[in-house]
Amino acid sequence: MTPNAASASSGPSRRSFLASTAVATAAVAGGMPLLAACGGSDSGEREGTTSGKAADKLLPAFVASTVANPDLPSKNGSASGYTGKVDLAALKTSVPEKLGTGAPIKIMSPFWGSPPKAGCAYYKALDAAAGTKITWQNQDGNTYGQKLGAVLASSSIPDMVVVPSWELVGKISNAVTAKFMDLGPYLAGDKVKKYPNLAAIPSDAWRMGIFGGALRGIPMPAATANWIAPLYRKDVFDKKGYSVPKSADEFMSWAKEATSAKAKVWACGDMTWSAWSFFGVRGSGSIGWDIGSDGKLTYRIEQPEYLEALEWVRKLYDAGVVHPDDKARSGDPGQRFTAGQTLVWCTNIADWYGKVSEQAQSNPDLVIDAMDLFGADGGNPKLYASSPATIWSLIRKGASKTTVENALAAADFSAAPYGTKERMLVDYGVEGTHYTVKDGVPVKNDLGNSEVLNAWVMLAAPAAYYAHPDFPEVARKQVEWQQRMGAFMKKTSTFGMNIVEPTRWANLSSQFEQLEIDYVRGNRKLSDVQAAISTWKSSGGDKLRDWYKELIDKNGSAN
Amino acid sequence: MSLTAGSRPDGTRPPAAVEEPTAAVGAAVAKARVPRKTSKVSKAGKVPFRVRLRRDRALILMTLPVILLLLLFNYVPLLGNVVAFQDYDPYISSNGVTAIFHSPWVGVEQFSRMVDDPLFWGAAKNTVLLFALQLVLFFPIPIALALLINSVIRPRVRAVAQAIMYLPHFFSWVLVVTVFQQIFGGAGIIAQTLEDHGWTGFDLMTNASLFKYLVTAQAVWKDAGWGIIVFLAALAAVSTDLYEAAAMDGAGRWRRMWHVTLPALRPVIALLLVLRVGDALSVGFEQFLLQRDAVGVGASEVLDTYVWNMGIQNGDFSYAAAVGLVKGAIGICLVLGANKFAHLLGEQGVYQK
Repeated sequence: MTPNAASASSGPSRRSFLASTAVATAAVAGGMPLLAACGGSDSGEREGTTSGKAADKLLPAFVASTVANPDLPSKNGSASGYTGKVDLAALKTSVPEKLGTGAPIKIMSPFWGSPPKAGCAYYKALDAAAGTKITWQNQDGNTYGQKLGAVLASSSIPDMVVVPSWELVGKISNAVTAKFMDLGPYLAGDKVKKYPNLAAIPSDAWRMGIFGGALRGIPMPAATANWIAPLYRKDVFDKKGYSVPKSADEFMSWAKEATSAKAKVWACGDMTWSAWSFFGVRGSGSIGWDIGSDGKLTYRIEQPEYLEALEWVRKLYDAGVVHPDDKARSGDPGQRFTAGQTLVWCTNIADWYGKVSEQAQSNPDLVIDAMDLFGADGGNPKLYASSPATIWSLIRKGASKTTVENALAAADFSAAPYGTKERMLVDYGVEGTHYTVKDGVPVKNDLGNSEVLNAWVMLAAPAAYYAHPDFPEVARKQVEWQQRMGAFMKKTSTFGMNIVEPTRWANLSSQFEQLEIDYVRGNRKLSDVQAAISTWKSSGGDKLRDWYKELIDKNGSAN
Repeated sequence: MSLTAGSRPDGTRPPAAVEEPTAAVGAAVAKARVPRKTSKVSKAGKVPFRVRLRRDRALILMTLPVILLLLLFNYVPLLGNVVAFQDYDPYISSNGVTAIFHSPWVGVEQFSRMVDDPLFWGAAKNTVLLFALQLVLFFPIPIALALLINSVIRPRVRAVAQAIMYLPHFFSWVLVVTVFQQIFGGAGIIAQTLEDHGWTGFDLMTNASLFKYLVTAQAVWKDAGWGIIVFLAALAAVSTDLYEAAAMDGAGRWRRMWHVTLPALRPVIALLLVLRVGDALSVGFEQFLLQRDAVGVGASEVLDTYVWNMGIQNGDFSYAAAVGLVKGAIGICLVLGANKFAHLLGEQGVYQK
């Protein structure tokens, strides 16, 4: 009974939820609005942030990629979309010459699923194409934080390490500054032009890679108009004649009507994540700090909407419209959704495609759509932009020049934009070996399914996009949803800054996620939540506020 | 310890066995041992250390690798407990071990934090309650099952019954919890059946007040069958002569159990009880972690999940080490106390002086 074994298997926690997201999107969508994103600092110091002009000096120059123009360009912070078919002959080249020198490098990366053997056809093909020689140290993504913590505390850190922001808990965020190198000498300004795909990563995403006053992280860009989407079963809605709810009250009355325990149908799973959007609650972590119209700086848990959102979700539980397995946090919520046991499922919008393609054969009648986020009172929603990057790859301090250049070559390769040979190779492997193209739709074979996952896609990515040659309509709808919702988007004062909070307050807010889980399920009282908020204030929250105030005064507010 | 106490008289055997022709080992050793032992002890009171060292060198050599492993993996890491008195930052230096020398010392601050933390006391309370409940509801079940199995005469039936009882032990907790959810959950078989008959709202899995009993039931289902093995072994050692003699004297089924079977099990029961009490603060880990969200922290937090949450999840190693240290210290006291108690009852316990 090791802790590792347990957490690897513990129900749908936030971590495994995000993990499934990372797999589903294959590095595309990223953007996890709910997690504590911290990191960064002012020069020399480990804590704090660097933004504004000071940050601009550290950033690589932006050179837009012109390889393949998206059918749906990004708007309102959305991802872009490609709705065409794949034509292998028309694929462009984004890395004209091999940038790697073939010097061996070791990379540690989170991996969801079972990793293929070292030297498998996929790794070989990628190494050959990028000119690299990578030894992968893949670690279980669900328990990655524990591995990362131990590896960072050892004296043998792999050359390149992938670090997701949700693992930056406790003292790890400070460790990132201490253990990884400043990539400025390789990437700042025009130097990045050696790596054209890295140069095409938007500056907002690069800015999130600044830790401790230096550019250390190669970011995986994410759309900022990226919220947990309430996906719903459009086929069932149409059949039953339900209209899509447009306010919190409407949702409640619809949910009561739609739930029938006898027929084994419940209206929804856990709605907490969407409730944040309905009620206008900011995300957790540094992005949750904002200066309001009254000039006061507050954290998300101090928003009156925080308690309102939780109370509303609790009412859903009390009314019995939430699936009992979601109440017990057991099993797979996505499966309950496709099985028709729940009709609304709050998840990353990337799962939309995942479920449609998964069910295409066995359940052809299934139609999924995403509910527009509504304001709780029925008006427009108040939405907050999510972080432009939440996963980085970093190179250890003391790595040789050759090692750094090979690592950057690998990152550049995996950042290849859609419509290039490199992207195709990273996402699908070798044609004939890992996939075949039928009617413009690439389909992975068994070998492709077992070898072509994770690893390379974790190193870097182009600007967020959706492209599903088999279901182009899903890609279009995903982008359009983000664009519609993005119109209501507002940035918090701390948006786009990679902020490392001082370690003395590192665990100040760590209890709230569990508190939320317990409160909405009726296992804690409202007064417990209120007490936790006032304890939070007195045991450091107010001091943390002063710290953020100073930080925002110095760096300028982002909104 | 009983192990060394038992092996010391035997320690005289290897030289004897070497001297004797192998053919006669059995009887000769048995005869030779008693006088040799008494004569040596009576002469010197105690065999000199160097003599014993030379005499037992083969045995010592054989145990050496295991002792080294034990030192390396059980005793050396114990030194890491010093972080309980620090504000340990594993990243402050080039590696986690040297970081111990660079982390600031904070005295007993972590311990006073623990005393002040209501979550810790909640976890401690749950742990003790669950231990008591497991002792009453779980501990006797393997004994009863062993007696039951033992009374089955037909070997086929017995083998099948045993196999069925052992099987759940090999299921992971994830599976056990999932199976329980599918049966007793709000959308499970029982709830659905009740629903069909007009009863609504059955959901055992998210009922915080019944959680103690639920986890005990899960533990019984999973591990009670496995627990009977040691009792069955003890029962197999009971000579059938005793039963026959008792039967001859007119003892019925129940009297035979009371006067023959149970006394035979007594030392094993006492031993396991001492071990269980020593382990009182470990009532399970994965089981609670998996069902934490279903019933809330208030009902499900035990010391092990608390330590895990603080140390591994929050990265607060010093604090977690402090709590773990306290837990270990209490565990030692409990073992000593329970063993003493076993001695008072005239049982052997885990070890003897």
